[in-house]
Amino acid sequence: MADKQIKKEKFINKTEWIIILSAIVLPFLFSFSPYVQGLLIFVMIWVVLGSSWNLLAGFTGLVSFGHAAYFGIGAYAAGLLFLHFKISPWWGLLLGGPVAVIVGYLLGIMVFRLRGPYFALGTLASAEILRIIFGEEEWLTNGHNGILYITTWVTKYPYYFIALALALGAVFSVKAVMRAKAGFYFLSIREDEDAAQALGIDTQRYKNIATVISTFWAGTAGAFYMIYMGFIDPEVVFSLHNISIITILVGIIGGVGTIWGPAVGAVIMVLVQEIFRSALFGLAPAWVSRLHALAFGLLVIFVILYLAGGVVGDWDLIRKKFGLTKKAETAE
Amino acid sequence: MLSLFIHITNKKGKNMKPIKILLIAILTGVLVFGISSCSKKTEGPVKVGVVLPLTGSKANFGEMEKNSYELALKKINADRKAKGQNPIEFVYEDDTGKPDVGRAAAEKLINVNKVKMLAGGYSSSVTFAAAAVAQQYRVPFLVNTGSVDKITQPEDFNLTTNDGDKFYIYRLNPPVSEYASGLEGLLATKVKPKSVFIIHENTAFGTKGAKAFQKSADKLGIKVLGVESYSGGTVDFKPLLSNAKKVKPDMMYMISYVMDAAMLMKQSREIGLMPKLFVGAGAGYTMPAFKENAGVASRNVVSATLWHQSLPIEGAKDYFDNYIKTYGGDGPDYHGAEAYSAAMVVDNVLARCKDNYDAETIKKALDATDMMTPFGPVKFTAYGKKIHQNRMQTYVVQWIDGALKLVWPEDLANAKFVFPIDWKKVWAD
Repeated sequence: MADKQIKKEKFINKTEWIIILSAIVLPFLFSFSPYVQGLLIFVMIWVVLGSSWNLLAGFTGLVSFGHAAYFGIGAYAAGLLFLHFKISPWWGLLLGGPVAVIVGYLLGIMVFRLRGPYFALGTLASAEILRIIFGEEEWLTNGHNGILYITTWVTKYPYYFIALALALGAVFSVKAVMRAKAGFYFLSIREDEDAAQALGIDTQRYKNIATVISTFWAGTAGAFYMIYMGFIDPEVVFSLHNISIITILVGIIGGVGTIWGPAVGAVIMVLVQEIFRSALFGLAPAWVSRLHALAFGLLVIFVILYLAGGVVGDWDLIRKKFGLTKKAETAE
Repeated sequence: MLSLFIHITNKKGKNMKPIKILLIAILTGVLVFGISSCSKKTEGPVKVGVVLPLTGSKANFGEMEKNSYELALKKINADRKAKGQNPIEFVYEDDTGKPDVGRAAAEKLINVNKVKMLAGGYSSSVTFAAAAVAQQYRVPFLVNTGSVDKITQPEDFNLTTNDGDKFYIYRLNPPVSEYASGLEGLLATKVKPKSVFIIHENTAFGTKGAKAFQKSADKLGIKVLGVESYSGGTVDFKPLLSNAKKVKPDMMYMISYVMDAAMLMKQSREIGLMPKLFVGAGAGYTMPAFKENAGVASRNVVSATLWHQSLPIEGAKDYFDNYIKTYGGDGPDYHGAEAYSAAMVVDNVLARCKDNYDAETIKKALDATDMMTPFGPVKFTAYGKKIHQNRMQTYVVQWIDGALKLVWPEDLANAKFVFPIDWKKVWAD
């Protein structure tokens, strides 16, 4: 497995430096189009969320169907600060993560008693419960009217670089923890929790550590979403299909249990979503946009049937299938 | 972009040359640039962005409004050609009924399509989110359906009512808090209910509408026996309706989009919930799709409405007939009329800009608007907390013999209000 080799390499290897540098240059290549820059920002948000989910589900084996819970809590941490105290949601960017960790811990007391599919259902239910509470308790959250905040800048550059910093933070924090002892404990929990426990690993504690890191990034992503979008309501940020499920898809398509999988998954998901929503940027007839859900479905079926490891996890397989040996690569 | 990521995440390809990576990046850049520049035109029609839900659960409404925009556009551009003015082009963007998508759609229209102004706006929460974008980019936005009150309340955009010159949002339709004002008259003089049970969708439109009606009920001395909310897309309403049945209200007041509206009525019939009157708050209850889906259960349901084709407004009937002639079916309800009239207002406003289409000129023209449309008179005024708001009367309609008839106010009605109703007979077969 790829993750066994991580330790031998430098923390940031050459190719990763290239990714970072190209990510820094990228928005300037698209300086003519704030629209494309906006899409790039969304890619970054999904990288954060996907990495956060991946640490929990891909590396520790706790498949969460309710990542919207932490995302939403982070978003509302920033939103409520603004709504009730007129404090800039930018402070919420610092607060979103920790608040999500606390809420995640409280929810964890309940859902960590469950395993496998029951854990998945437990997380799904907790996100749904939060969605309903935040919708109904109007005195606290402004209910379904949502929270509107007139965003700070019209230009996309500052948002992009903050999002990029968060994305890199998320990816490399996962990488760091997976290189440490804790990472091996996570893997052992994923492979066989009972055996791990029998070997003397405090599984509860390490599950909690994975959750803390994961919920922190999910909450921070939520807070950033609030700052960038300037509008949240419970249906948006606690959404089962638009947040929780897409988070899982980002992980699955990119590669479950790989460091860079969520990043690749985020790029694919945002591209596919936008291509269909805009009917191939307006070049295809309008009915194409109605195929959006179908396309997602087919993509997932394809990945699960033929690329169970995701694009990154099964990269070798993809190369073989398409005859991409090293020599052929130059011809591309 | 994608291939770039895949290449560099590939461990075996780590001796790949930076030049190749740069090449891929540039290629992708050119490709994307090519795509987005395809939609740019330098000369030609005046572009106006229209944000509507063209797919998703609210697509019924979006489709009717888009059809109406197109219908109006044909006429507008024919007139403009005759007068030698620039034609107008409506650039539609699908908001899928979600606020975040609506925001992105508005942003795309402004940044990529470079529209001169925005129109459309169907559901309240989406419209509000899109309005924030328009406000930020200082692009005038003529809302035609999004009805939550705050859309034209500057205080919700960090402005005051004196900031008219900094506020870029205008609204053609009345706010949701005024939807039931026409209904109050009917209830007070004809129905005289003692109690009401309210069911509403848990969205901005639904909750605000329910609050507004509770106020009306207090004023009319109607006791509110219960308020229940549901999430859009619910399939089983029987638990809610059974709660209503237990307390035996004189009337039901329901705020729903079209599919939920049909389900609510069908299931009321199934469980035998029989108040004196079923009243819908517009939205789903006046749509042809409501009748098609609810079938027998749609009979004699009453709804608040903002418009009816039989109203003595010039052009109302013509628009209605024209719509049926072009698209077939049962014809549009008030949503279509709003969209059609919004298109007319856009045309009128742009004509008064005299080929100078910067935001401030368009805004001044909007301020000075005073015209007649098939939806009614349009003039943007300030009252209460609102500015740039068109004030309108509201009406009551009832489904009688498979058609939507205007029953209130009495002097404008084209059918006699069916009341009292024997549901057992009405719902038979």
